Amino acid sequence: MNLPGEAQGWICAACGGELEMMKVGFTYMKGNFEVDLPACRNCGLVLVSEELATGKMADAERILEDK
Amino acid sequence: MPEGMTLRSGNNQATESLCPHCLTRIPAERRLEGADVVLVKSCPEHGEFRTPVWRGQPEISGWSRPKKTVRVGTHLASQARGCPFDCGICPGHRQQSCTVLIEVTGRCNLACPYCFAAAGSPAGQDPPLAAIEQWYRIALERSGPHNIVQLSGGEATLRDDLPAVIALGRELGFPFIQLNSNGLRLAADPAYAVELKRAGLFSVFLQFDGSDDSIYRAIRGRALLAEKLTAIENCAAAGLGVVLVPTIVAGVNTEDIGAILRLALELAPGVRGVHFQPASYFGRHPGAPAAGDRFTLPDLMRAIEEQTSGLMRTEHFCPPGCEHPLCSFHGNFLRLPDGGLRSLTAAAAECATENAGTGRAVAYVARQWSAPAPASSCCPANSLDAFLENHHSNTFAVSAMAFQDVWNLDLERVQECCIHVVAPDGRMIPFCLYNLTSADGQPLHRGNAC
Repeated sequence: MNLPGEAQGWICAACGGELEMMKVGFTYMKGNFEVDLPACRNCGLVLVSEELATGKMADAERILEDK
Repeated sequence: MPEGMTLRSGNNQATESLCPHCLTRIPAERRLEGADVVLVKSCPEHGEFRTPVWRGQPEISGWSRPKKTVRVGTHLASQARGCPFDCGICPGHRQQSCTVLIEVTGRCNLACPYCFAAAGSPAGQDPPLAAIEQWYRIALERSGPHNIVQLSGGEATLRDDLPAVIALGRELGFPFIQLNSNGLRLAADPAYAVELKRAGLFSVFLQFDGSDDSIYRAIRGRALLAEKLTAIENCAAAGLGVVLVPTIVAGVNTEDIGAILRLALELAPGVRGVHFQPASYFGRHPGAPAAGDRFTLPDLMRAIEEQTSGLMRTEHFCPPGCEHPLCSFHGNFLRLPDGGLRSLTAAAAECATENAGTGRAVAYVARQWSAPAPASSCCPANSLDAFLENHHSNTFAVSAMAFQDVWNLDLERVQECCIHVVAPDGRMIPFCLYNLTSADGQPLHRGNAC
């Protein structure tokens, strides 16, 4: 996950730009994180992989949302 | 109940209970009297009984949380006498198990004046491993594997084959096996904690009533603090999460609540949290309780706030998303590097998120009560990885459960219970009902085959 090669081969659906690895900020219920993710170099649209969404991001969400 | 329980003036709620003397099922009412809720019931033969079940702030009227009623598992087919007599569990039950207790011994190496199980001497017969396997299979069949299985007793560590009991549960598919213990054997032998960890144990529910030996003398019959602290040290070294479990007895350790929490925070992250249990009057206890003997959940929340000088506050605690609102509260905190605490509960949409019931509670408890990962410096402080590591190691859980005895028994609460004991005859019975005894010590279910 989050390897430089992860951005390769993707084209932004919104503007057609190429993706590259960027530091992306997330904010959720007073929690702030930075994650290196593929994002469009033109418009900044971010690609969140299913693995990240259902893995570590889901873990963080559960922690912040409490029992 | 009460999806969204409210209790307002002029809106007293009808429920049912038992007569403390003859165990006859009788009507009962939760009456709002000022800011208090009193359970009032009357037996034609033995008269009226009044027991405070909620005293003061936070107000009961706001104490609820939306949740889903769940009817799952294999219920018994018939209800001849109804709740609570044909328990096992019956079709009227409205919650699945989140914790299943299996009593692996009736023996104990203490003789506490307070004991829900009225556990006996170190001598005696334990159930064979084959019987325990059958109980595991019953729990698996009726509630699935995603429960906390709590091995209890008596004192479970008196069984020399406890590692085999744990390993068997893991082999059968239970991922979260917890030990309910007084900690004496864990203190006496550091290698024992390692052996239990290797067998597959994930956490220890450690009886821990106070920060002073006078409390142990009163509740447990002798000084125990040094052994408790050694047990915690040995568990932490073995990678077992420890949850401190104080039995709170009014006038004995009610002024020690803040000291228990401060000590637990000092012992974190090995100690993962504190789970308070106000004393219930079933099994072995000193006698019928007076109203002043009742330490209700709001009494406890306010004591926590007062005795921690506001480090933990009443508004940091939430009603349960699993069991009945009158049965528990919980709050989660993040330990900060400067020694302070940040409430995570208050940030969680003021407790208002709808809860999916037991599944989420089990996942939470399993995460919070297991040992923290060894510290690393893997990643930048503001990264997602660092956030996850920090929270797992530094989250501290404070919770409480108000068990019911024959005086404050409320059958509506029991019907939403998610903590079930597998009885020797294979019935799964809510914890409070399984341990309930009449005023003269007659058990409702324990020791009675169906």
